[in-house]
Amino acid sequence: MMRFLPHTDSDRNTMLEAIGMETMHDLFADIPSEFHLEQGKLNLPDALSEAGIVRKFTQASEQNSHAGNTRCFLGGGTYHHFVPAVVDYIISRGEFLTAYTPYQPEISQGTLQTLFEFQSMIARLTGMDVSNASMYEAATATAEAALMARRVTRKSKVVMAGSVNPRYRSVTQNYLSRLEGEYIEVEMDGFGTDLDKVIAEVDEKAACVIVQYPDFYGSVYDLADLREACDAAKCLMVIAFSDATAFALIQSPGDCGADIAVGSGQSLGIPMGFGGPHLGLFTCKQKYVRQMPGRVCGMTSDVDGKRGFVLTLSTREQHIRREKATSNICSNQGLMCTAAATYMTLMGDEGLKTVATRSATALNCLISKLPSQVTAAQGARFHETVLSFESHEKRELFLAEARKQDIFAGIPLEQLDSGIESKHLLVATTEMIEEADIQDYLAALEVVA
Amino acid sequence: MSALNISNTYSAVGGIQHEEPLLFEHAHETTESISLPGIQGDISAELNAFRRQKPANIPGLSEPETVRHFVRMSQWNHAIETGFYPLGSCTMKYNPRVNEQVVRLSGLANIHPDQPVDSVQGVLALLHELQLWLCEIAGFSGVTLQPAAGAHGELAGLMMIRSCLDARGQQHRKKVLVPDSAHGTNPASAALCGMHCVELKSGADGRIDLQELKKHLNDDVAALMMTNPNTAGAFESDIKEICTLVHDAGGLVYGDGANLNALVGMARPGDMGIDCLHINVHKTFSTPHGGGGPGAGPVVVNEVLAPFLPVPRIVKDGDVYHIETQAEQSCGTILGSIGQVGVLLRAHAYIAAFGRTHLHKIAEDAVLNANYVLHRLKAAYHVPFEGLCKHECLLTDEYQNKHGVKTLDVAKQLIDLGFHPMTIYFPLIVHGAMLIEPTETESKSTLDSFCDAMLEIAAQCEAGDTQVLHDAPVQPIRRRLDETQAARKPVLVWSDDV
Repeated sequence: MMRFLPHTDSDRNTMLEAIGMETMHDLFADIPSEFHLEQGKLNLPDALSEAGIVRKFTQASEQNSHAGNTRCFLGGGTYHHFVPAVVDYIISRGEFLTAYTPYQPEISQGTLQTLFEFQSMIARLTGMDVSNASMYEAATATAEAALMARRVTRKSKVVMAGSVNPRYRSVTQNYLSRLEGEYIEVEMDGFGTDLDKVIAEVDEKAACVIVQYPDFYGSVYDLADLREACDAAKCLMVIAFSDATAFALIQSPGDCGADIAVGSGQSLGIPMGFGGPHLGLFTCKQKYVRQMPGRVCGMTSDVDGKRGFVLTLSTREQHIRREKATSNICSNQGLMCTAAATYMTLMGDEGLKTVATRSATALNCLISKLPSQVTAAQGARFHETVLSFESHEKRELFLAEARKQDIFAGIPLEQLDSGIESKHLLVATTEMIEEADIQDYLAALEVVA
Repeated sequence: MSALNISNTYSAVGGIQHEEPLLFEHAHETTESISLPGIQGDISAELNAFRRQKPANIPGLSEPETVRHFVRMSQWNHAIETGFYPLGSCTMKYNPRVNEQVVRLSGLANIHPDQPVDSVQGVLALLHELQLWLCEIAGFSGVTLQPAAGAHGELAGLMMIRSCLDARGQQHRKKVLVPDSAHGTNPASAALCGMHCVELKSGADGRIDLQELKKHLNDDVAALMMTNPNTAGAFESDIKEICTLVHDAGGLVYGDGANLNALVGMARPGDMGIDCLHINVHKTFSTPHGGGGPGAGPVVVNEVLAPFLPVPRIVKDGDVYHIETQAEQSCGTILGSIGQVGVLLRAHAYIAAFGRTHLHKIAEDAVLNANYVLHRLKAAYHVPFEGLCKHECLLTDEYQNKHGVKTLDVAKQLIDLGFHPMTIYFPLIVHGAMLIEPTETESKSTLDSFCDAMLEIAAQCEAGDTQVLHDAPVQPIRRRLDETQAARKPVLVWSDDV
């Protein structure tokens, strides 16, 4: 007996008899016998009961420190925002959780209408015309944006600002490395975006220029000059972002004139989960929609004239276009779209603005009280910045002290970008940070003061 | 089109089934539904200069309204928890609830990917153990958990193949052979890897034709991508010879593991000569499809390709787990994290539940169920390729065509009879394909009801009672939808003047 298998042995025998077979083994007669495994001989543990699985996972879980029993100042593309109980409830419902891709629209209107609402809200939040129904996560979405820009412009050079998340950069570089065309990374001197250096690389050969806004170091900056340069060079401006809640507070990618905007939707109701599943967002201007990768849901009507929703523009996709598809993506992050749609509905404009404002406020509180031995990167920052210490040793001293207080105080930057000196920390705050957490953080900093 | 065609006052359309407007149509002032934590105060003056001027205009609903909105919509979905879902090559099996429970433990769900490695030993241990299990089950020695889905696994596998060929000084090999029965992701992934595809015409039995294969094997071949069992549900019995031919020609063999459910615990692709294989854990290892994702597509490889695995990699050193971010011959980074961890942990829990003693029962019952359905339907529906099937069976609409009925009509009538249709019009190698994959988690009585429904439809055709089939479905909340209109003038976002 196995609890997930409904057949009794008597069922199996009845069915075997019906198809004219003696044993289960006969069902595998088309597999050459040299490949048949001796049953029960794989090097796997004994089957666990349900209680055994709960015990095993609970023990593993208890070995990890987590945001439930620590204070998390880590960002770098993944953020510890509040997730309302309703979000997890909705995505736990079997009707959403255990449905397939909505290829039979008559019996998938729940998933489809939710995707349409998701696309609509993402377009509004990012200030862009259209959104697809998700990519895996932000790094692959950035790579897909570069590929799309090459299709739209029929040019092949891609310019990447060095202030884009190193993970988005390395995945994009890797995706492009097997295709013809130039890929240029513009190195940055400080912890921000020097737009003049980026603009210097934008020429008529460029298919797109990719910047992150707010950038990897949390810096918020004016993109007007880049937009102008892109217009002159007939090159697409791609904005990557790591926390979509930002755009409830600051100017959106659409406000900045982005042609394509991609990034992470993890902040919209999805737990950090040690790196996934997260949510890749992909938005663009209406005129480029037929070059967009991934699934997209559209409005239509049924034979009775009632409004309904279907997956559409499928002639872009791999199951129709095969080798000439706009992307190879098939499975996406559908359930995470449902999570994000539920989250945004609960929040509304005001709630999202509160999340973004309190995230930024917490950072402002922290950096306004730093001891003189620790400096924060200058300029406008959203909810993330770089703290610099006098030396590697001082930083390590602080990190150790913070750990004693159950604070994960920041990401050592050299772990993500090996070219950076090992005395900096990338520090992020969200609405989950309270006054007391800031005080404890500052108290821990006293070891280097 | 925008009119919902319902009364403004009542939304009930029958019994307790409800229409539900778009949330943008809920007449409401924007409300803040949730009480939020955090620090109230000022943002910096520098940031203040970048304030958004026009609001995003995202309508907030109160918590009770939000719950009702999404619960009502959920009720318009068919799902594996509500009924039979026999989509071929999709492996829609039951998704154990305990897996949902354990991945939500705070020590697994609420960890940041950049926490110090000593604070995440528990989750790394589970992932590392999964790596070992996947290698053991599929018969390989190396693995990456990074790929976010099956197609992403294909890309990762082809990148490794590319790196391996380059390391051999074989940069010129760019041809990928793909059978005409392959999933569309195969050629799309090859294109993304800078390779080009040549389609192999299937033989008369729906399998790879060795003569056709030999014709295309030359010094340009980088790889053969094959699915075994193939998408016609047939095992490629010449697998060993196929792999030998490709290897002798200097190419590598990529296995699309979409159909691993037919083999799990019974036979191992790695033993057959395949060099690498992606595993759709959202198929074989029961992680929920979520209305389109998330999935995960770990790739297992043999020792030939192991040096080229992507980074980061999870490795064990004594009793301690590490994440390696650099490796000399690696094909690079393919994702912004180490993988879809929550999905992978569910797969771990699923394999643990079967263990050494029960794992093969998955394949046994899956293959039994597919053959039983095939047996019950083969007189009423055309079977293009005779013989045993594996975990799915392929039929066509050839007999029904005589009565003016097509596969699409059969599919839509199944909906009215209470079943999700099978995969239709795939694979492309037969006309009017109906690909049925029951999976091992369906009872005999469910299979019998489904077969009875299929036989009833065939009988309706024979009786000339076909109008009902063309009109179907009439039962769900929406009937056949106009896909042409949707594609011609796409409406992808809501605006108040749509």
